[in-house]
Parts: sequence; structure tokens; C-alpha cells
Amino acid sequence: MKLAFVFPGQGSQKNGMLHSLPDHPAALEVLQEAREVIGENVLVLDTDKALKSTVSVQLSLLISSVAVSKAFKAEGVIPDFVAGHSAGAFGAAVMCGAMDFSDALEMVKLRGELMEQAFPSGYGMGVITGFDARTVNELAAAISSEENPVYRSNINAADQVTISGSIPGIKEVLDQAGQRGARTAELLNVSVPSHCPLLNSVGDSLYDKLASVNIRVPYIPYAANRTARLLRDSEQIREDLAYNVSHPVRWYEISSLLCEHGTRLLIEMPPGNVLTTLNKRTLPGARSVSVDENGLDNCLFLAKRFCS
Amino acid sequence: MQAAKQRSWNTRLEAKQKRLEKMKGITSNRIIPTRQIVEALETLIMPGDRVVLEGNNQKQASFLSAALAQADPKKLFDLHMIMSSISRPEHLDLFEYGIASKVDFSYAGPQSLRMAQMLEDGKLTMGEIHTYVELYGRLFIDLIPSVALVAADKADSEGNLYTGPNTEETPTLVEAAGFSSGIVIAQVNELTDELPRVDIPGSWIDFVVVADKPYQLEPLFTRDPRHITDIQILQAMMVIRGIYEKHGVKSLNHGIGYNTAAIELLLPTYGESLGLKGKICRHWALNPHPTLIPAIESGWVESVHCFGGEVGMEKYVAARRDVFFTGHDGSLRSNRTLCQLAGQYAVDLFVGSSLQIDEAGNSSTVTRGRLAGFGGAPNMGHDPGGRRHSSQAWLDMMTDTDPLARGRKLVVQVVETFQNGNKPVFVESLDAAGAKADIGLETAPVMIYGQDVTHIVTEEGIAYLYKTDSMEERRQAIAAIAGVTPIGLKHDIKASEKLRREGLIALPEDLGIRRTDAKRSLLAAKNVEELVEWSEGLYEPPAKFRSW
Repeated sequence: MKLAFVFPGQGSQKNGMLHSLPDHPAALEVLQEAREVIGENVLVLDTDKALKSTVSVQLSLLISSVAVSKAFKAEGVIPDFVAGHSAGAFGAAVMCGAMDFSDALEMVKLRGELMEQAFPSGYGMGVITGFDARTVNELAAAISSEENPVYRSNINAADQVTISGSIPGIKEVLDQAGQRGARTAELLNVSVPSHCPLLNSVGDSLYDKLASVNIRVPYIPYAANRTARLLRDSEQIREDLAYNVSHPVRWYEISSLLCEHGTRLLIEMPPGNVLTTLNKRTLPGARSVSVDENGLDNCLFLAKRFCS
Repeated sequence: MQAAKQRSWNTRLEAKQKRLEKMKGITSNRIIPTRQIVEALETLIMPGDRVVLEGNNQKQASFLSAALAQADPKKLFDLHMIMSSISRPEHLDLFEYGIASKVDFSYAGPQSLRMAQMLEDGKLTMGEIHTYVELYGRLFIDLIPSVALVAADKADSEGNLYTGPNTEETPTLVEAAGFSSGIVIAQVNELTDELPRVDIPGSWIDFVVVADKPYQLEPLFTRDPRHITDIQILQAMMVIRGIYEKHGVKSLNHGIGYNTAAIELLLPTYGESLGLKGKICRHWALNPHPTLIPAIESGWVESVHCFGGEVGMEKYVAARRDVFFTGHDGSLRSNRTLCQLAGQYAVDLFVGSSLQIDEAGNSSTVTRGRLAGFGGAPNMGHDPGGRRHSSQAWLDMMTDTDPLARGRKLVVQVVETFQNGNKPVFVESLDAAGAKADIGLETAPVMIYGQDVTHIVTEEGIAYLYKTDSMEERRQAIAAIAGVTPIGLKHDIKASEKLRREGLIALPEDLGIRRTDAKRSLLAAKNVEELVEWSEGLYEPPAKFRSW
């Protein structure tokens, strides 16, 4: 029986998320290191106001998830696999030893800045539940135009799929989905059309920058966002970190793959429980918990009992 | 004449003896030391060998599969694996690490995503997706194994094996390798001086190794009655009334769903109220499902032959020797190959379920990006043209007066019109059709072909497909019971009324069933604790099914 750590992406952020991290020396060390690398007090990043910027959101996600994963490590709990959703992939890359935390901070900051610059307004994402990826693909392809591009993006579960593109295009797809019987079809509170070809240039810029970052062979496999394969090769991880921004995240396959590899406990790093909720629905044979809901001590206890 | 004399007719045997010779450095008798198993496998197996690895949906040669995955890919590569069921992560790790390259299999449910991914990535070459008996059959024809890796409960120092209740496919695999100069290695839980009974003689076995822990065995066929819903009870009532009673079905095989568990649990209550005891469901090809206990205890069931065992049912089976096939030690003798053949030829009816059914009644459990395979369902769920023995139910499927007309096996699909997650079961085209192109298969992985299906049951009613005489009529009958799925929405109310009058479809009210009567209170046991009571304490459910 194996253990996986999963790292959340954008959408999981919460006001005060860095202030409410567990009081563990390893976590405090991470906060201190972040302060040194970024050059400012990171505890200003998690206010409502600051979290309006995707840069603060992505940095806060990285810092909180890495802080807690290092606390697990300090307590002797090392997972068998890591997987991150979108920006969460950087936390996963740090946990598996592929990347230094300081490099991850710089890359995530750049990622946020490039995303913000790419589409200042009029673009975003939506989510549809009740339809599979193929149906959403067909809906989006029928509506997408040069003027109002819209793409099927992340596959979170068999029946939960996101779309990305221009706001009018998204609204039309959501309307159509609603009419055709989707259970829910709504706009997400995201101002960037992530995980679709509109961000190709952001992916290219990130790749250029990542070319000079030291990426190592991971000591535990890293599940790739784009291909839903387990990676053990540093170059493939570099590509995944750069281009997951412009490609769909195949979370449904990633989580299924972890289970097929024998994972029976999945622990979600803070903040939030978005991935845990998805995993509980998709993976009835495995136990899914989040540090935010269950607390660090309980998760540590579970992991230790599980891995013994 | 000269050339014939020079030819050796013992090349396979000579090759085997060379391998056995090399084992002398590891063991001087037939017992391989547990810690040297990887070395032994590297010595006994050669690159390119056809290796049969035991594992079906229950029992797994887990110690041997884990050991094989630890082999050095520089020494062992290009193996052609033959596996009934690809269920454990290391089964596919063999291909990931380059130890094996080709596979022939039957079922890959627990590894279905990786199967599809690895095919897409070119990490494994597919032989075929087989049914169980088809795969077993090929072991004796064109997939004759070089090595068989199997699992048993106990062995003695002579290599005699005791397989206990879970004999399953062990004899078939051992026979295919053992009698073709292949090498047979058995992992056992325990080495002992005296065996309760000999299931496989030691002269068929080359090596025995004591595993570091008992072989993996899952209670896969236990269904807790607590999870049976009113809709499943309604469907079960329709099956009993509209199919079993109507056609006089005496011998049968069921799937392992909650809907078939409901049928088993309604026999002593609803079935009894219809006066059907002794008239239906007397002989079964089925694993020892705990939900069968009330029907056995109340005298419905005369015989049950089993594919495999079921964890917790050992004592119960041993105490009901008139019903089950047991050895002189009292424990179950299951046999997957023989039970598959019995289920294919000797039973009147099969009831299964599916994830998708198209408008012609074809069905599959392959969904996009998942390659699950079939297991035994296609053998159970088809009409075997070789059958000759007649029975009331079989004869009842004849629809014409041709003097050479013959009967048919009843093949029943019981499905709710929508799966969990609001996915329609009745679809315009099966995902399997897309999988053919995506994965590059020669044929679409259809599980049960529409032409073999005689009845479909949904919460709406029953379609009597064997009575339809054209594809158009078949489509109409399916659409009429397909609810509000894309197929069901196509149905024409007038046509449905006509089908109903002609007896091609039946709604619950046509069968004298009031929908409001379909309640859990009808179940002979409503939870696992009540099953234990029915069994007089003989059934010992695994911990995960205990709530008391």
C-alpha cells in the first residue's frame, strides 16, 4: 500500500492561508526561506486584497504546500508518489527533490507575472459537471471562433471538465451545456484562460527560463500534468513544469494512475480540500484526506500507521 | 529417411534439462530458498520465453510476480507474458522496466488506465484480449508456455500441492506447462509434511518456494445487502417473474453486482410467494456468494459449482457438502476452467451487467482511455452453438417451426438506464468503437454482442429481444425501456404500445408487479450480520464487512 502527496493549484487559495499554517519548525523554516528569496515578508501575500493577483495566489500556494510537506519529511514521512495540479506541480517538484524551493519560488513568481500580462481582461475559465471530456470538447469546438476562442481544458473527474478562453465564448459554451442537461455549468473566479493554447507563449517563456534552472532526477516519481504519466526523468519534469500552463491538466487520469500503482492513501497539502473532494468521488478504493480538514497531526498519524 | 533419424524430437526437454542443471548452484532439491527467488527466476527463465503468471480476479501469485519484477532487465527481457488478469502494479511494471514486452490477457480492470497508456506509449505489444477459457485453450495450442508461475496453499517436500478452496486456474496452468517440457514454479504459503489432500501431484511441479507472505486473495464477490437499492429489488422481481418463471430457468450463472445479489436474496421471499421453489434456480455455476446463503438454507439450491472460492465462506461450504463440490478434507474444490465450460455450455441462463449498451444491444465495459478486458463474461454471455442438450428454458427461445430449429441460451443484461455520475448506459455508439482506433486493435473490444442478448432489463421494464424479427424491431424494443437516455428519447410511444401488446416488452405492471412493492423489506437478509445468522454462524465475513 502506497502513499501519495497531492499539491493543489489555483482555486484553492484562502484569505490567511499562510497565517494558519501548522506551527512546526520545518514549516517556519520554509516561511523564512521564502522571505529571504522574495525579499519581502511573505505574510502580506495572503490578504484578500493581495490574493486578487495571481502572482500572490501562486506564491502562497507554493509556500504553504511546501511548508507542510517539509514538516511531513521532518517527521519521517516520505510519500511514494507526488502530484500537483497546475501551479501545484512546483510544490510536487520540490517534494520529490527535482527542484530547490528557492528556484521554485522564482519560477512561480515569473509564471504568475507572465500569466497576468498575457491576458489582462476579458478572459477566464468555466467548469461543467455532468458531461465527459469528449462532449465538452465537441461543445467548445463548435462554438470557438477567432474572435471568441474557447477550449476544453482540465479534466478533473470523469464528469467534471473545465473550459478556458474569452468570456463571451465561455458563457456560450456554459449556456449550451446547461441546455443540454449539464448538472452545473458556471464561470470560475479565474481571470486567465489557463491550460489552453492561448498561453502557448507563456509556456515557451517559462521553458526558456527553466532551461537554466537545476532540475534533478527525482527520488520519488512525479506525476505529470500534461501526460498523466509518472516521470523519473529530469528533462521531462522540466517540460511539464513549463508547459502545464498551456495544456490541460489530466487530473482524473493522474489520480487513477496513482491508485493503479498501489496508492491507497492520498494526503492533500494545504490550502484547501479541492483535490481531496475530487479524489474521494473518483477513487472509492483509496482514502483521501487533506491537511486543512484533518490537521497535520492526524494526517501524520494516518501516514505513519499506513506506511508501517 | 536419413534426415528424420538425425532430428531430435526432444529439443524442448533438452532445453529444460539445461536450465535445471544450472539450478544446482541454488538448490539441490526442488525447494528454492525464499531469499533466492529472484536469482532462481533469472536462472530458470530465458529472454523471449512465454511466461504464464497465475492471477485471476481473486487469487494472485503475488510473491512470484513481485520477484519477477525485481529481475535484472539485462538478464531477463522480451518476455511474452500470459496473464488471465492484470491486477497488480508490478504486472505492468514488468513492461515498464523492460523485462517483458508482449502480453496476452483476459482482464485488466484494476490496471485499465495504465494498460491503455502503455499501449499508447508503445511500452507493450498486445497479443489479444481473450476470454478466460479462450486464453486457457490457447495455452494448449499456440501459446504453449515455457514457464508457469503459480500459487498454492501448501506443498510437501515432494512438490505435491494443496490448493484448498481456491484451486481456481492452478491445475490448467500447471498442466499446460508441465506436460510440454515447460518449467513449473509454485509459491506456497507453507511447507508441510502431510497435506490435507493432493490437488496437483508433485511430478507435475519442478520447484516450490515458500512465499514471504500468503498469496493475495480478495473477497471480491461479497456484496453487503445493506447497499441493495429499491430499484435493484424491482429489477430482481422482474427477472424472477418475467424471465425465470416465464421460461422455467433451472440452471444459471449470475454476475457479481448488487442487482444479482438482490435476485439471490428474493428467492426465499418473493420467489416463495410465487410458489417457484423447485421450479427455478436449482443448479448454479457461481462462486460461493454469501448472498446465496438464504436460498441454500431454505432449500432452493441443489448444487453449486464454483470458479473460485470466497474469503469467509470456507466453513459454510465445508458444512454443506451436498450443495458444493468438496474434497475428502471437506474444503471446496473450485476449478475456473471447468466452471467456465459449465457456465458456457451447461447452464440455461446468464445474467450480467454492463457500462454501455448501444441501440443494437452490443455492450462493453471498455470506456474511453480505459482498457479493462472481459474476464469470463463473453463465455457466459453468449449462445454456444455447440450445445445439444435441451431444457425447457433453452427450447423456449425457439421462435420458428423449422424442423431443424434449436434452442438458445438465455443471455440477460440487467442495467439501470443511468450509471453513477449521470452517465447514460444506453448510448448511440460504444466507446469501445473509439478504443479500436485509439489503441490500434484489430476488432472493437465488445464484451457481449447484441445478437447473443435475449433479454434486457431496466428499471422501466423488460425487452424480449429474442422475439424480435428485424433489427428495426430490436432497436424499438431497446429504446422502449431505455428511459431518458439518448437512445430512450428516440422511442415512439405508439410503437412501444404495439410492442407491449405483442409481448416484446413488458412493464412491471404487465408482470403483476407493483413498483411500490419493491422494498428492501423483501430481502431475505438485509445486512451481513443476517447472512451470518442464516448460516448458523458458519459464514465468517472478513473484517471490512463487519459492522457489529
